[in-house]
Amino acid sequence: MRRLLFALAFILLVASTWIGLTQGQIVPVQRNILYAHVPNSVCALLCFVVLLVASIGYLIAGRQAWDLAAVASAEAGLVFATILNATGMLFSRAEWNVWWTASPRLVTSAILWFLYAVYLILRASLPGSQYRRARICAVFGIIAFLDVPLVFVSARFIPDIHRPNFSFDSPWQSAALMLGMAGAAILAAALIWLRTSLLRSGVELENQLRQ
Amino acid sequence: MRALWPGLRAIIIKDIVVELRARQVLPTMVVLGMLIVFILRMAAEPGSTTIGGAVMGVAALWIAFLFSGLLAQERSFAAEQQNGCMDGLLLAPLDAGTIYLAKLLANVIMLTIFEVIVVPIAVISFNLHIAGGWLRLVAVLLLGNLGISSIGTLFSAAVQLTRTRGSLLSIVVLVILMPMMIPATFALLVLFGAMPEEAQNLASVRGSGTLTFVGSFKAAIGYMLAFDAVFVVASWLLFGVVVEE
Repeated sequence: MRRLLFALAFILLVASTWIGLTQGQIVPVQRNILYAHVPNSVCALLCFVVLLVASIGYLIAGRQAWDLAAVASAEAGLVFATILNATGMLFSRAEWNVWWTASPRLVTSAILWFLYAVYLILRASLPGSQYRRARICAVFGIIAFLDVPLVFVSARFIPDIHRPNFSFDSPWQSAALMLGMAGAAILAAALIWLRTSLLRSGVELENQLRQ
Repeated sequence: MRALWPGLRAIIIKDIVVELRARQVLPTMVVLGMLIVFILRMAAEPGSTTIGGAVMGVAALWIAFLFSGLLAQERSFAAEQQNGCMDGLLLAPLDAGTIYLAKLLANVIMLTIFEVIVVPIAVISFNLHIAGGWLRLVAVLLLGNLGISSIGTLFSAAVQLTRTRGSLLSIVVLVILMPMMIPATFALLVLFGAMPEEAQNLASVRGSGTLTFVGSFKAAIGYMLAFDAVFVVASWLLFGVVVEE
């Protein structure tokens, strides 16, 4: 089932790239990066939503599966946020001739990356029982999420050098983007699933070794 | 409310008395803050424009608050680790949220004392002209103070028992406070005359830059109030989860 998801994501992403590079090309050429950039940015945010839901779930239910899902989504989120910022910087250099500028959207993307990074560092540094560690990480996840929307929501409604709405002139272009979105979302789900089960195996192994 | 007050007052008075007798953290905070101000003062050469001085002064003030605040917040729960004081606090017939509020207020008081000393020093050394009036400056500083202390106090309790206590606390607190520093910086820039009060009207800066997206001084105060409210309420609710054994 998981392999199927990875295969599906791969096919969708290849199809998106194929259409984007053939029928759906955008002029000037550097704007084609949006086929990679937009799906990744959506996934970076989706992972944060998963992180929030898993954190709340852990605090309510106290089941370890929630905690592992939160870590897995933070790890996946860090990957997507890294790609988001890297592709964004490439585009920015080509389009605006600077690698980075303090535009609201760029700042919030950087903050997103930092939040994921600090979540994982916090998790790695907390000693003591796994319950205490999981609780503290859940608290950080919730506070971080409360912190971010205020910024993201306000960033949507302000004039920005970063274009929020693109108008496509051919259905091929929107098809390529939609395929990319679907592929990246499935990839994110598969990655979170894979990491959750790997983490669970790690915990089970530890428990067996301890006995 | 009436049930909350005695416990709250007892913990605040305890923290202040401990600090007055042992003088553990306030002198360190003040000296660190002064050092930050003077080191950044080196970069603001007298030849540079007054705008440059104001920008550096704002940077110095917020950096000094953040780092000195971290010192106070880290101590506030580190001191409880000895002799099982934390267990004593938790065993007291108090809500965990009340303990949090008391610790938060004690930290706010410490940072306020710090600000009373360091802000005049920064104003003198950067030759800052307070264009916006003292009252508004005090309001901005207090709002920033509350935001910094609220997150710091919550995570101070969380990072105790770790080997890298101070550095871990600093990255956790700074990353959460990063969005709040945008309106905070904007507000101080306006007050020191380095930024027009209604940045939206500037055709040249419209559409780019994080600071201009704050818009106006009033909006900056609004953002800071919103951050403070979210931070304090969320921390108050979640503190019990953090300290639970």
